[in-house]
Amino acid sequence: MTKILVIARWEYMEKVKSKIFLVGLLLTPLIMIGMGVLPTLFVSQEDEHSRIIGVIDPGGTIIEPFTHRMQTRYLLKNRQPNYIVLPLAVGTGINVDDAVADANRRVASDQIDGYFFFQGSGRDSLIEYRSKTVGDFALPARIEEVLKTIVAEQRVQALGLDPAVLRQIAVKMDVRSVKLSAKGEKENAGFERVFLSAYVFLMMLFLLIVTSGQMLVRSVIEEKSNRIVEVLVSSCSPTELMAGKVLGLSGLGLTQMAFWALIGVAASLQFGMQLIDPGHALLLVVYFILGYLFYAAIFIAAGSPLNTEQEAQQITSYLVLVLILPIVLALPAMKDPNATWIKILTYIPFLTPTMMAMRIPIQMPMLWEILLTIVIMLISIAGAMVAAGRIFRIGILSTGKSPKLKEIFRWIKNG
Amino acid sequence: MLSVQQLRKQFTSVLAVDGVSFDVPGGSIFGLIGPNGAGKTTTIRMILRILEPDSGTVTYNGASFTKATRDILGYLPEERGLYKKSRLIDTLLYLAELRGLQRSKARVAVMTWLERLGLRDAAQRKVEELSKGNQQKVQFIGAVLHDPAILVLDEPLSGLDPVNQNIFKDILLDLKQKGKSIIFSTHQMDQAERLSDALCLINKGRVVLGGTVRDVKKRYGRNSLHVDFDGDGTILNTLAGVQNVMLYEHSAEMELMPGVTPRDVITLINPHLDLRKVELLEPSLHAIFLQTVGGLETAPKGKEGVA
Repeated sequence: MTKILVIARWEYMEKVKSKIFLVGLLLTPLIMIGMGVLPTLFVSQEDEHSRIIGVIDPGGTIIEPFTHRMQTRYLLKNRQPNYIVLPLAVGTGINVDDAVADANRRVASDQIDGYFFFQGSGRDSLIEYRSKTVGDFALPARIEEVLKTIVAEQRVQALGLDPAVLRQIAVKMDVRSVKLSAKGEKENAGFERVFLSAYVFLMMLFLLIVTSGQMLVRSVIEEKSNRIVEVLVSSCSPTELMAGKVLGLSGLGLTQMAFWALIGVAASLQFGMQLIDPGHALLLVVYFILGYLFYAAIFIAAGSPLNTEQEAQQITSYLVLVLILPIVLALPAMKDPNATWIKILTYIPFLTPTMMAMRIPIQMPMLWEILLTIVIMLISIAGAMVAAGRIFRIGILSTGKSPKLKEIFRWIKNG
Repeated sequence: MLSVQQLRKQFTSVLAVDGVSFDVPGGSIFGLIGPNGAGKTTTIRMILRILEPDSGTVTYNGASFTKATRDILGYLPEERGLYKKSRLIDTLLYLAELRGLQRSKARVAVMTWLERLGLRDAAQRKVEELSKGNQQKVQFIGAVLHDPAILVLDEPLSGLDPVNQNIFKDILLDLKQKGKSIIFSTHQMDQAERLSDALCLINKGRVVLGGTVRDVKKRYGRNSLHVDFDGDGTILNTLAGVQNVMLYEHSAEMELMPGVTPRDVITLINPHLDLRKVELLEPSLHAIFLQTVGGLETAPKGKEGVA
């Protein structure tokens, strides 16, 4: 037992001091935060300068109310209007083709940010807001809303009614999806939050397993190629060596996770958003550890018969493909978390931890599902560790040509 | 005393070790010699319990090794390497602790050995910053740190310059004085001849020759003619009455055929070369080796895989 601890401490200390670990530790949360937060930040970013919107209004019916409403309703932080409306061509006498050509030129030369051509309020129509940038979702929505109000008022007036009627008959109704917990209680989780937390946890589990798996394989191959492994297994049994490695690198993974969790808590306090509730988090940690141990065994089994880094990279990239599958499935799983195929995939040990990491934030699985998957994982881990141990024992001492798959199966059987 | 009895190991297609036996008393150095692929490394691995023998026993003072007693073994593997990115002191402490030494005691031992091999100032440096010779010293320290009763060294002197070879030799002799059982394998016969008290020659998994160096040589008798000369020595290759000629620049060793006297050979050589020295000796270990395994020693060095 003490030798296992000696090995575990060595693996932990040497890796924790390595640059690769530090870079991964710091860079990963930055990437996660970057991927999660930056796009929303940019999209919801408010304008800093007024934008100039050109209007071509041959009917001359909307230009005045539109200008008034746009300039008074939307203001910048400095109380200046967010949008300045510039009448480009107004009234029945204009040549529409010339006006459009002129407007296009103005947009091209950045005199105006964009323009639209209003054909008339007589019939419903599609209005094109033309500008160099089409990524701004807010502006077309605002133009649409203002124009709708104006046209509605004008139509009401044409019917000889008081425009105030509009306010009386206006229907305000939203349909929103609300998540219910397993106990039937309402949870305050919007699509984005659920999606984000499912994704963040998937990615974290994925990165953790891949990076530490690679570290595991690399350390085995290093010891094989420099023959230290012979010194090691003359001092302790291969089983002790393997256990020590798994323990040490698990400690490393937990360190990483704890650090990330700290950052996550800090970030959620800072941005005022709660990514996940503590009950879920605890369950996820359980699946983290289970997945971690299972894949540690797989990586050891795959890595110990190999002799070169290149071979190792090939093998790990196949494993990465298996691991990444649930990430691809996240979107369809969100739509229908109760689909049978998603449930079936959850019970395949290779996928269980990541599938669960994805399912828990979307919809908490039933208690029996959780217990059953944990039992399945525990059995799989035990089996994988025994098989990995048998491969490890022979694999670490084999040099030269890498053994064929058939040979490896014989090692497992004869172990 | 370390006693190896009837070790046998079969791999998938080859019988790597076939009934190897020898004893290494405390306070002696034992040379394990043989061509590549002869089974030396497999034998060593079985002594160290890295490999389980199919049959046969390895005992020390009559008892076989257990988990608790295997810490009396020290091992320097043939192909050398260390954790490149790790610091010297950390690596050595780790190896010592793996051998069951307490950290505080390990620290003292590490510093003592680093001092002895002139590496004290390098303790905090990374292994990759050291020269190859110094890395080899570090590995050697790793093998002897825990003061093992049995020391197994695979090609301990290869790749060392003469100065370091001497340092290592002195240390080995010192450890021998202290009563350790030392086993070392080598391809270099002159090393085996100078260092070992007893030796065994393994070929194709079997012991083909064994005993003290003197006994082995005696068995071959004084029938080896050593000559020093000036001139072109190629004539010696075609000389009648001798065999197994080993020709060097200005010296040669050759085996007299039965019934041939040194005088006969000298008479044959004299017209062609100026002889400066002629000696009738026991054959060198090198000659015995070549004779026994049939020139295999010059075969290209290959890997001794186990699978």
